[in-house]
Amino acid sequence: MSHAKYSVINTHVHNIDGVAKVTGRATYTFDVKLPGMLYGKILRSPHPHAKIINIDTTRAMELPGVKIVVTGKDTLGIKQGIWRRYEELCDEQVLPLEKVRYIGEPVAAVAAVTEEIAEAALDLIDVEWEVLPAVYEPLEAIKKEAPTIHEGVERNVNVTRHIEWGDVDEAFEDADYIREDWFKCSGQAHMCMETRAAVSSFTPEGKLTVWASTQSAYYTQGLLAGVLGLREGDVRVLAPYVGGGFGGKFELDAAMFCSAVMSMKLFKPVKVVFSREEDFIASKRRTPMFYYVRTGIKKDGTFCARESRMFSNGGAYTGMGATALYLSGFFHSFPYKWRGYRYDGYRVYTNTLPSTSMRGFGAPQAMFCSEQQIDWICADLGLDPFEVRRKNGHTEGYEVPGQAFIASCGLEQCINEIEKWVKSKGKLPANRGIGISSCGFMSGGIFNWFDSPYSFSSAVVTINVDGTVELHVGCQDIGQGSNTTMAIIAAETLGVKVEDIRVHSGDTAHCPADLGAWGSRQTLMAGNAVKMACEDAKKQLLEFAYAEMGINIVYDLDIKDRWVHIVARPERGLPYGDLVKKALRAKDGQRIMGRGYYTPHRKGMISPAYSYMMQAVDAEVDPETGKIKIHEVMTAHDCGQPINQLGLVGQLEGAASMALGYAYLEDMPFEDGKMMNPNLVDYKVIKAPEMPEAGIIEIDTYEPEGPYGAKEAGEGLTNPTAAALGNAIYNAMGIQMKELPITPERVLKALREKKEAQK
Amino acid sequence: MINDFHYLKPASLKEALAMYAQYDDCKVICGGQSLLIVMRQGMVAPEYLLDIKHVKELSYIKFDDKDGLRIGATTTHREIEKSDVIAKKYPVLVAMEEKLASIQTRNWGTIGGNLAHADPAGDPGPVLIALNAEIKFGSSSGEKTVPLDEFFVDYFETKMEHGDLVLEVHVPAPEPKFGCAYQKFNLLDSDMGIVAAAASVTLNADGTCKDARVVLGNAGPVPLRVTKAEDLLKGKKLDDALFAEAGQIASEEAQPVADIHASEEHRRHVLGVLTKRMLKKAFEQAQKA
Ligand SMILES: Cc1cc2nc3c(=O)[nH]c(=O)nc-3n(C[C@H](O)[C@H](O)[C@H](O)COP(=O)(O)OP(=O)(O)OC[C@H]3O[C@@H](n4cnc5c(N)ncnc54)[C@H](O)[C@@H]3O)c2cc1C
Repeated sequence: MSHAKYSVINTHVHNIDGVAKVTGRATYTFDVKLPGMLYGKILRSPHPHAKIINIDTTRAMELPGVKIVVTGKDTLGIKQGIWRRYEELCDEQVLPLEKVRYIGEPVAAVAAVTEEIAEAALDLIDVEWEVLPAVYEPLEAIKKEAPTIHEGVERNVNVTRHIEWGDVDEAFEDADYIREDWFKCSGQAHMCMETRAAVSSFTPEGKLTVWASTQSAYYTQGLLAGVLGLREGDVRVLAPYVGGGFGGKFELDAAMFCSAVMSMKLFKPVKVVFSREEDFIASKRRTPMFYYVRTGIKKDGTFCARESRMFSNGGAYTGMGATALYLSGFFHSFPYKWRGYRYDGYRVYTNTLPSTSMRGFGAPQAMFCSEQQIDWICADLGLDPFEVRRKNGHTEGYEVPGQAFIASCGLEQCINEIEKWVKSKGKLPANRGIGISSCGFMSGGIFNWFDSPYSFSSAVVTINVDGTVELHVGCQDIGQGSNTTMAIIAAETLGVKVEDIRVHSGDTAHCPADLGAWGSRQTLMAGNAVKMACEDAKKQLLEFAYAEMGINIVYDLDIKDRWVHIVARPERGLPYGDLVKKALRAKDGQRIMGRGYYTPHRKGMISPAYSYMMQAVDAEVDPETGKIKIHEVMTAHDCGQPINQLGLVGQLEGAASMALGYAYLEDMPFEDGKMMNPNLVDYKVIKAPEMPEAGIIEIDTYEPEGPYGAKEAGEGLTNPTAAALGNAIYNAMGIQMKELPITPERVLKALREKKEAQK
Repeated sequence: MINDFHYLKPASLKEALAMYAQYDDCKVICGGQSLLIVMRQGMVAPEYLLDIKHVKELSYIKFDDKDGLRIGATTTHREIEKSDVIAKKYPVLVAMEEKLASIQTRNWGTIGGNLAHADPAGDPGPVLIALNAEIKFGSSSGEKTVPLDEFFVDYFETKMEHGDLVLEVHVPAPEPKFGCAYQKFNLLDSDMGIVAAAASVTLNADGTCKDARVVLGNAGPVPLRVTKAEDLLKGKKLDDALFAEAGQIASEEAQPVADIHASEEHRRHVLGVLTKRMLKKAFEQAQKA
């Protein structure tokens, strides 16, 4: 099945919006300019925890050019959150009424005729505060005597999550060796090239149009309607181009909310664009986590049981944190078979920037701990880390008890390929090592806490009289190339070329609802919807072709490369363009339209399918300064049938740069609740000259649930890297890195400790 | 946000100096790579900007076997990096430039602007001091040349007064047995240095050390010469033990300030390591020369 000959799938297709982007024609929210548009700026809290006693906007209103100043009192005061079906998790007023809970939290917003005036007006807003004691670390915030961040939330515990299967205690008893470790995983900024931005325009008809930098126009529409007291249908969200999301852009943000609130009061368009500093201090971030991991194993390398406790720094609000809490615990078991597994996660509120989903969704943290500990156990017992991973790894047909069914799995081939690659490198020079790490990831979460129980996707396809195709999808292109991937699937299914497809996305008024771009759901879920819609339209065309060609019913017809033909006699047929013209000519105006949708049913708790991978990182340590140099990254990857060849390479390289950044560069240090490096000089991301080679070995598998056998590719690739680097350093220097990021100072400290222990 | 300002574009050096003398609240802009950052942060908001980028008289690289190297103030980092004669005679300068920021920044940023900005983390300062360079600056009322070593006064402060422009950097011709090396420590190769060390070594015909210089970057308010370490080496036959000792001295003499990128302790430690390594590298070059 997986060896079917495709005309478009997995061929060299350039991003369909590439030309628009590189020639500067793509209109991002940042570029939107409407007649009479005002510019908004947001006043932010200087305190990590404080009561708002009074806000006096008089002086700001008097500044010439200022049109409005709003505070929480000018809003409906609705507490919102993305987990809309769970009231207690809707805990965030974008403009709070009573108190602020982190430095940078919005307090008021101004709209003025220029950005400069709006900015100047912020200094004229007088806020009277009552500063409250604050707490910044989860292990402090969970103590009895810690300040209360949300009234009624005991010990600041926001959400807990328990995952368990098998008889854990009994499985531990069977173990010959038990190891336990503590790990500390840092936060990370999404660092989208386009900062949070929105332009809202409310008109006297009572309709609101919002251009937003969002991962899900559908969520943005629903969330905005909810907090503004509008009908969802009266809110149109447009997101034609989005400059990156990485998990940070599907909640309601202050750019969207404040611009909309002010536009509704003024009946004028209002634009709010976060500065880079605002994006750092007041969006959300990857969840910092403390992990305790206890693992039991037999002498021969068979895994028995694992027990983990995790405390995460939730920051001030829930965001997507509840999902990250679950997924971290689930993927912490990956990609292995445990007889007994138990995870307890605690998400704890603190007076810091809220944490949320970010590429990998809790898994990179989980894998940093798990995959390093496995290597250390192998060293403790004299076992081969490849062999142990092969022995315990998931296989096709395996069921993660009560959680998931694994229908396709190329893990073993991934391990074999990376083992070959590592061995081919031979003996390395001193202070240099290669570390490995394996993992898996979901192809779209099957959960939905927003407004329906289903995680759905949908698509509509229309065939024009000239054979060109309008494809309307709800899935959101955020730079990851989903529009191209959908065009490829549509072209393959309809039997036309990619340039025949025009993809319409990012517009709630014209595109069908879809949960959008998160949780690696689009290729599988939206891809299935697109495939179904195209099959529907194609069937209508082929019905006409049967009539037209008058062939025997035993023959099947198909379309490939714009040629409608008998499958058994491919030379007999007619051009696709002719068929479309004929099929449409006699109609009364009905269009040839196909509808498609996808919702996973009975696919476990997490996802209908899982990608697998093993990664190797080749790194070198300067033993005197602790500086790390990354030589190369190699990944063996099972994403089922690759759909978008170039997109896949782009995802791999982007993930490697982001995950390496997480491993040894990117950090968000806070002092008294204040982020210390909210700029791109002090916040370190890998730049092009420093990017190491990142190669990929595709493992051929076929996922029955995926369109043409495809699975996730892109998000999961951020999971293995930090652990692989840690293992490389362990192999090079014999030190165990339990804290992220792996900085030179931490390396030197570990080297000193190793020396002392040897004495 | 950048304030509104009047833009002055002199066509010649003379005109530039005259304009600069005329306006009080006036800042010089050349490549803008440092100035625009502080202007955007609102830390500098001049009424006049004097753009000297187009003053061609100040853009040159000249070399003469006796006189040495002369670089005009508006010469860009990239021009220095790509200069054949510099690559041949002062390879350490090319190596330093190759790791100074990105190509885009090097295309705009100038040597004069870099030195005038007087960021103690700047790369050219320590290297040029190790090369025994001097700097010429002047105003409409006259010129002055001082050893670069004496040019820097404090964080972002130099000997120049209002009306002064950097005009030229002069590096003496290298002695026969001379070597010079520079390295900064950072997480990414093209970042500003967390700390840095430059060292130069001149050997006598008998192989003993005639002269040595150790200059630390970002280890105090100005590029920091460690004369105690230099004195240790002079007159001696150099070896690893001496380099290590000099490194130890550098580590003690440094005045680094901790921030999120590294603790004071780590900075001192790395300064010691870099000093040791750069001395050794410079020594090996001098031996081969
Ligand atoms: C992203 C980035 C990374 C950087 N990384 C590094 C690095 O790694 N190492 C490093 O050393 N530098 C680095 N820099 C700094 C930068 O390269 C230099 O400081 C820059 O070259 C200054 O030159 P300029 O011509 O741009 O000066 P400008 O920005 O135009 O001016 C800087 C200052 O000097 C004054 N000035 C300029 N020219 C003269 C003159 N001829 N006479 C008198 N005063 C003058 C200006 O008034 C201003 O105060 C970096 C800069 C950026 C933006």
